Amino acid sequence: MSENILRAEQIHAGYSDKEILHGVDITIPQNKISVILGSNGSGKSTMLKTFCRLLCPAEGQVTLDGKNISSINSKTLAKTIGLLPQNSIAPEGIKVADLVARGRFPYRKFMTPLSKHDYEAISEAMCFMGINDLADASIDELSGGQRQRVFIALSLAQQTDILFLDEPTTFLDIAYQVEILDLLKELNQKRGTTIVMVLHDINLSSRYADYIFAMKKGKLICQGTPAEIITSENIKEIYGLDSIVIEDPISCSPFIIPDSRCY
Amino acid sequence: MSNKKIYLTIITGTVILIIASMLSITYGAKSVGFADVIDAVLGRNIENYNVNVVQARIPRTVFGILAGAALSVSGVLMQTITRNPIADPSILGVNTGASLFIVIGISVFNIQSKLSYISLAFLGAMLTAILVYKLASMGYGGATPIKLALSGAAISTALSSLVSVFVMPDSSVMTSFRFWQIGSVGGASNEDILLILPVVIISLIVSVFISSDLNTLLLSEETATALGLNVNRTRLIAAVCGVLLCSSITALAGPISFIGLMIPHLIRLLVGSEQKKLILISALYGGSILVISDVLGRLLGRPGELESGIMTALIGAPCFIAIIRRAKVANI
Amino acid sequence: MIENKGFLVGIEKRKKRYNLILCIILLMLLSLICINMTLGTNATYPLSDVFKVLMGQDGIKGAYIIKNLRLPRTIAAVFCGIAFGVAGNTFQTLLRNPLASPDIIGVSTGSTVAAVYGILYLHASNGAVSVMALISGLAAAGAIYWIATKGGYSGARLILTGIGAQAFFTALINWMVLKGAEYDVPSAMRWMTGNLNDIKSDGLPLLIFVVIIITGGIMFMGNILKGLELGDAYATVLGINVNLSRIIIIILAVVLIAFATSVTGPISSIAFLSGPIATRICGKRQTNTVSAGLVGACIVLAADFVGQNLLPTRYPVGVITGILGAPYLLYLLININKGEKV
Repeated sequence: MSENILRAEQIHAGYSDKEILHGVDITIPQNKISVILGSNGSGKSTMLKTFCRLLCPAEGQVTLDGKNISSINSKTLAKTIGLLPQNSIAPEGIKVADLVARGRFPYRKFMTPLSKHDYEAISEAMCFMGINDLADASIDELSGGQRQRVFIALSLAQQTDILFLDEPTTFLDIAYQVEILDLLKELNQKRGTTIVMVLHDINLSSRYADYIFAMKKGKLICQGTPAEIITSENIKEIYGLDSIVIEDPISCSPFIIPDSRCY
Repeated sequence: MSNKKIYLTIITGTVILIIASMLSITYGAKSVGFADVIDAVLGRNIENYNVNVVQARIPRTVFGILAGAALSVSGVLMQTITRNPIADPSILGVNTGASLFIVIGISVFNIQSKLSYISLAFLGAMLTAILVYKLASMGYGGATPIKLALSGAAISTALSSLVSVFVMPDSSVMTSFRFWQIGSVGGASNEDILLILPVVIISLIVSVFISSDLNTLLLSEETATALGLNVNRTRLIAAVCGVLLCSSITALAGPISFIGLMIPHLIRLLVGSEQKKLILISALYGGSILVISDVLGRLLGRPGELESGIMTALIGAPCFIAIIRRAKVANI
Repeated sequence: MIENKGFLVGIEKRKKRYNLILCIILLMLLSLICINMTLGTNATYPLSDVFKVLMGQDGIKGAYIIKNLRLPRTIAAVFCGIAFGVAGNTFQTLLRNPLASPDIIGVSTGSTVAAVYGILYLHASNGAVSVMALISGLAAAGAIYWIATKGGYSGARLILTGIGAQAFFTALINWMVLKGAEYDVPSAMRWMTGNLNDIKSDGLPLLIFVVIIITGGIMFMGNILKGLELGDAYATVLGINVNLSRIIIIILAVVLIAFATSVTGPISSIAFLSGPIATRICGKRQTNTVSAGLVGACIVLAADFVGQNLLPTRYPVGVITGILGAPYLLYLLININKGEKV
């Protein structure tokens, strides 16, 4: 098995008229959970898109084991890097099992039915996300949390060593947020899958992440373990917010309490 | 927005309108001189052929101004109440609805009077507008531009097939309808104009009267309600005015597309979205532009003429696409 | 190893169901073909006679009508129905919107413009008209795609641009038909509604060939289409070259539309109805290319039969199918779904 070291080198990227990332270097820690933090518009989603080849950098390159990802065959790459986009679209009325099966695309040959190996991967993904009972349900009938589990299962069926998630917990209530993050943690621990996600909640990031990248205005301003990064100085730097940091009584990770004018 | 700029816009509009009217009276398959125009207006030299030509072109010009103004204001109202930049009588399929009812009137009830034309057109237009809007606002996200345009287009397709059902069996209906189906300001007589004039004027006055409410409606529905506006009543009044304006014109001229879409956008660029100014200035410019496209149609279509409905679509469709291109993806 | 067999049962069941439904639609199609070949306003011929004529036996009563009128008409109906159904379904799947069919977003009308011009002003032969319709359909689709996607692809913008283009083309057609008033309006009118009258059999082999090849091509792209249906982000991550595959699929669908349009004119609503109907009865497991095509063929045959035989006046098929669009829209309206997109 290859090393799967994913590295962004001096990335400048953005959309037609506006550059959003101004020279970012990130090396994704292997077999770890990394979280990219930052205020709105700091470029974290853009960074994620650049890693997944959704966006072509104007300058710099993203490399996998030293090879520029734009030179790697797209199906080969799809067996290594997976993504849960921020807004997942499902065809109306599709059944859960059929939707998860679509994650097998990179492994399929033209015009052939799903193979035994495909079925194994689908089954494993669905078991892992605990959605076996939903297999024959229509995607439109599911709650937000269930939907999100189905889409993660789709990415698991893709059997990639690296999985990116763009705000996987947005729009979910707190119970589902914890449930999804627990599942991702298990995925990381049991299979060693490298997980990189964008999260908004600093305290959940601090609890679940092994490593944190903090971005501001298109630049990486600091990186390190939660204990190193989640300090009140850094929070002030990243978000411009005064806060105090205490210890999370459950996970012993840093926990921030925002300060405010009225109290 | 400085007052100076607005006055400038109004003066320019008035000048354009006067020039357009002069052109409309003098140019055409047969061009006449200004002396004949003055003769005709003063009622002299009735036996002169050129004077007769002019007199035939006067109602056409007046109707062109009226139609352009009415359609533009109708466009403003629809864009405001649906809070949707591409709402327009033709996009909403209102014209096809009016056509369908008129055709049913001609072939089934054998209607003759212009008044029944207008009332049927109004009924058809109103029902279609409601249907399209309901279809567009169902489901996720309300009546977004994309859903509004698609449901308008889809309902137009379906209704125009129904129109064919009534038209095809009877060749006499077919002939009279085929020309009506393509909008033209050429066929209006003085009596026709007098018939719709009160409708148009009253609707215009009411629109100006409710314009401050419309300004509030431009904010979100919740904000407008919180500010004490009776949202549903305002919307209903504006909708009735908008449909009355476009359906009365459609009843006489047939579907004239895109004026109601283009003019408000153009004027908004010039004077901003304050509703009273928008309504009044749109009316001014709408009249000129329709008259100009009518003149262009007469020049391009020689020896006959190119109906103004076709001209406005040929000019308006590219404008529509330009509007789409300018819009941010997220807003579509 | 497969840890749970439960989900497999469901997948197998849906697979079987799809095959069964395909057989049923196919049977329906066959019976509609038989009905259209035997019944008609002029005369009714027993099925056995029809077979004998088709087998080349001489001296059967009505051989001329069966061979030269009904056979080409039926073949054109079937293959144009397939073409419209497949192309419509492909567009709807690709743009993820059941209302975004080529007859609404300007592609069909783009082909029609050239066809009307060819007939009214150049008096071109059938073959030349087909080629012109094909070229202008592709050009129209290309222009719409180019204008709409300059500066980033957006399905919504593509649809809206198409609707604008549709209005433009319709105005052009109206202009030509009005100007051409004295010459050949009946045959131009047919270009505005879609009609199966006067089908010439010499153009049919090419139609059959094109429809089969292109439909095959779209089926071949099926897995890619399934990936694109999940949105650009998923499709890219799954290893699909999004822009290239989208353009290829659009070209294939436009070729289908343009060819079918050049034979029968734009038969309205087929492209728009077949996909949703096929999806409703077959589910969303597969791309429904085949089922949408068969449904399209069935609708055209049935509508033509109704238009020719069951109404007081003979209506061209396009009028009947156009009306079918209305109840479908009402159905969408009444069936206000829980937050689904339209």
